[in-house]
Amino acid sequence: MTLVYALLGVVLAPFAGILVAGFDRILTAKFQSRTGPPLLQPLYDIAKLWAKEPMIAHRFQPLCVYIYLAAAMVSVALFFAQSDLLLIFFVQAVGAIFLVIGAFLVPSPFSQAGANRELIQILTYEPLIIIVLAGIYLTTGSFNISAIYAMDKPLLINLPLLFIVFGYALTIKLRKSPFDISASHHAHQELVRGVLTEYSGRMLALIELAHLYETILILGLCSLFWTTSIWGMVVLLALTYLIEIVVDNISARMSFRWMLKSVWTTGLALSAINLIWLYSGGRF
Amino acid sequence: MLKKIVEHSQIKSPWLVHYDCGSCNGCDIETLACLTPLYDVERFGVLNIGNPKHADVLIVTGTVNKRNKKVLKQIYDQMPSPKIVIAIGACGLSGGIFREAYNVVGGVDKVIPVDVYVPGCPAKPEAIIDGVVEGLAKLSEIQKAGKPKKEAIAS
Amino acid sequence: MFEILYTSLTLCPIVAALACLILPGKSTRSALVGMTGIILIASSVMLIWNGPVSSTPAFLSSAKFTTFIQIADFALLGLILYFGIKFNNRIISVLSLVQIAVLAAFELFILDGHGAPAGLFCDNLSLIMVLLISIAGSLIVFYALPYMDYHEHHLKLTKTRQPRFFALLLLFIGAMNALVLTNDLLLFYFFFEITTLCSFLLIGHDGNKVSRENSVTALWINSIGGTALLLGTVMIYLQLHTLDIQAVIGKLQGSDAMLIPLGLLCVAGFTKAAQMPFQKWLLGAMVAPTPTSALLHSATMVKAGVYLVIRFAPAFQGTALSTAVAVCGAFTFLSAAALAIGQRNGKKVLAYSTISNLGLILACAGINTHAAITAAILLVIFHAVSKALLFLCMGSIEQHIGSRDIEDMRGLFGEMPKTAMIITMGILTMILPPFGMLLGKWMAIESAAGNLFTLLMLALGSALTVVYWARWAGILMGSDYKGESRPEHLPDMARYPLLTLLGSAIVLSISAPFIYSKMILADFTGTAAYATTNGVMANASGSFAVIPLFMIAIGVFLFALAKSGPGKKGAKIAGPYMSGISGEENGTYVGPMNKITGSVQSNYYLSAFFGEKRLSGVVNATACALILIMIGVSI
Repeated sequence: MTLVYALLGVVLAPFAGILVAGFDRILTAKFQSRTGPPLLQPLYDIAKLWAKEPMIAHRFQPLCVYIYLAAAMVSVALFFAQSDLLLIFFVQAVGAIFLVIGAFLVPSPFSQAGANRELIQILTYEPLIIIVLAGIYLTTGSFNISAIYAMDKPLLINLPLLFIVFGYALTIKLRKSPFDISASHHAHQELVRGVLTEYSGRMLALIELAHLYETILILGLCSLFWTTSIWGMVVLLALTYLIEIVVDNISARMSFRWMLKSVWTTGLALSAINLIWLYSGGRF
Repeated sequence: MLKKIVEHSQIKSPWLVHYDCGSCNGCDIETLACLTPLYDVERFGVLNIGNPKHADVLIVTGTVNKRNKKVLKQIYDQMPSPKIVIAIGACGLSGGIFREAYNVVGGVDKVIPVDVYVPGCPAKPEAIIDGVVEGLAKLSEIQKAGKPKKEAIAS
Repeated sequence: MFEILYTSLTLCPIVAALACLILPGKSTRSALVGMTGIILIASSVMLIWNGPVSSTPAFLSSAKFTTFIQIADFALLGLILYFGIKFNNRIISVLSLVQIAVLAAFELFILDGHGAPAGLFCDNLSLIMVLLISIAGSLIVFYALPYMDYHEHHLKLTKTRQPRFFALLLLFIGAMNALVLTNDLLLFYFFFEITTLCSFLLIGHDGNKVSRENSVTALWINSIGGTALLLGTVMIYLQLHTLDIQAVIGKLQGSDAMLIPLGLLCVAGFTKAAQMPFQKWLLGAMVAPTPTSALLHSATMVKAGVYLVIRFAPAFQGTALSTAVAVCGAFTFLSAAALAIGQRNGKKVLAYSTISNLGLILACAGINTHAAITAAILLVIFHAVSKALLFLCMGSIEQHIGSRDIEDMRGLFGEMPKTAMIITMGILTMILPPFGMLLGKWMAIESAAGNLFTLLMLALGSALTVVYWARWAGILMGSDYKGESRPEHLPDMARYPLLTLLGSAIVLSISAPFIYSKMILADFTGTAAYATTNGVMANASGSFAVIPLFMIAIGVFLFALAKSGPGKKGAKIAGPYMSGISGEENGTYVGPMNKITGSVQSNYYLSAFFGEKRLSGVVNATACALILIMIGVSI
């Protein structure tokens, strides 16, 4: 049964991801008083890229891209199999690291700088996510997702500050402003898309696909904060994503030094407050 | 089914890279105007992606000269096919008023094969959008025919 | 059977070491060293076969042996005192005099009726340590054979100093094996001091100014540890009237009456394991020839410190000392990882990473639950193998390119494809699931979740670790964009150790659930911390699907590798994007006046955040405070 859920997750996640990303682009366009692309635009983009002539910049690039995609798929599968949260996160990190290594392979200043910045992004969000997961453990007594579903109260009630911390990580992982530092959605703005510069055609299609998986994973993690009712979950996800888009549209890109400093100080302070409260036995 | 989606997608998602071969910026401003809310080419899936390795459509403005023709050619070569080139404005088409200058090679088609010519000085945004749409028809033709990629003319 | 194996594991390398010094000729020495290595590997495997044992061989309980050890103890301390005077280092002289005085007083006045040493004790922890020391140690010694030839050739030595070098390596391995098998605190102290002396002599092997200075640093810092260990031993004997380690642990279990001696033992472990603020000696140790570093960092020396703390962990379970050890270890994990980010010297990155990982292991020992100790032991195993591999690769690279700077290894794949691949794989075994290091880290974080400070530091340290490794792994494989590389010649004696270590890093990682259920679990009583079914390690707080993940990983890796073969047909190769002005050669561009200009790329080292200058002061001060707190809570 677990296996069926996992497979179902892997099959359905890209479609959900396409809808989310398409919705994101339409909403962003609306904010800028534009009409925006059709809802299925991400699908068109990926299909088009897939059909392009294969072109690589280094012989090991495909290796890195396939591993990135596989890691994203496995982490989504583990998520739908309600497995260990920390394990899911570490598996996801494999992909992130291989994306960086792939960018390091090519001696292009843009992809090198992008790779370094991507590492700083990983450095910024990784501890925050580990701490959030530990917060979940302190509330449920287990790192397993199944334990969260066994709770009769939503996690958000006990982990409000950690949810904000998670929001930071979410913004960095989704590459939204002000944290779209390693690879902007718009290449002409920053570093020619930094970490993605040297991937093209089919490789880029696979990366976009993997990114859809990552989006679903990260939204899935977000949904864990309200597991007691479907509507609560939907509202929480919609609100969070809406806030993400608003933040993306109203903020400028900042430097990685600012990101590291501000996110670590704010994030660690917020998590410390929330965790101390949990350790001291506070529960609603 | 999958093949249909791919074919359909080919014309639904043109990503542009815009190279200015020394234009007076008139055509550049008009090109960028297409991305503004007034024209909003993202309706057609157009993105100004700015990286030849990701792009399908190369938009060239301005006169090609002896210095930047290498750059133009290299950017073209780094685009994976199928790809199309749209030359914009009088200068891009033929060299414009600079065509007799000592350092000028001429229009874009002297260096790389051009698929669509958009005249004007500067070309109007409507004309540029029209040119991109024309180009898309060609793009899907190339895709259907499965033509081998075109090599640049001048070396 | 056990006695024979014990002899061949400890006495045989020591005898071989003496023979190395006496017998002339390079080929005799190579044969001798090779034979000893093979004997060590074979006996350690047979010891595993033999299983856990505790016994007292006749010769160990003889009065002659006791007297011999007593004399040797004083001779050893005298030697250290001699070096202290010779190099004019007051700390060494004072500490060794203190040790001589304490030891003399102890043996003359206090030690009564304790004629015979407590014999040997070989549980699964010892077995694992013996296996690591013997196998990784032997592989490093094999690798050293061609390495030292090249090294001496490079230094233009007229008279070879290899007899001394190999004698010390073998002595070191013998002493380590004896150390992990003994059950007598005084014998433990003796071998502990031998490793100190060996490391001092090995670090100073090249005999130049820097190596001499660094070796003296190593000696004085480790003398602190030696003194702490001796004082702890004496205090334990004063209270419990036994030096039998197992008896001591048994008596102390669960009580917090005797924390001071245990705290001193932990300090000894911390100095040996180069924990902050004692890290300086291990960083200095990298001036030694690479096999020395590999030996110090992987299976021996630093692992002696870790072993000491893990061995005594049950004695201070649930006490304030335990928490303090966890916090100190976690702090070292975090701060050493942060310092590693600021480094571009490859050997220094490796050194900081060793310190950092040992911190993680000690943090696990301090958390001191069944799951955490399991994590500690697994980390000891996987760290030893991967780190030996990385140091040996580093040695080959340094000899080939003449630099330790990570930036000089950019595109190493073009120059040394085999080594570059092996070291990249080695780095990946350090940071990625499903490899053992990450399994250990996963266990560590899951068991640390109950301790706020430890958890925060582990979370931050874990992210920092990823950065300095990934950054390094990334630039190694980059090369000419056509992916062509020159063929590389690796001597057989270098290649086989490297491949064996890489192979064992992978195979051991796959068999982690098996290692747990067959080896580690047996040392614990009560319910198992992890259930291992179908290769999944799981308990109430989480699950890690080791073998399923490995199957997926291997499948994906092979598929992806097939997709990226060298002559993959159809894939067009495009040069890097250089704003359209890329030159013919990779990474160059057409600059002003049509000149081909090379682009310079460098990683971020963030010295404004993580530089040694910026962090060292704060880190050392904090670490000193933490150590004082650790001793403070024991009182």
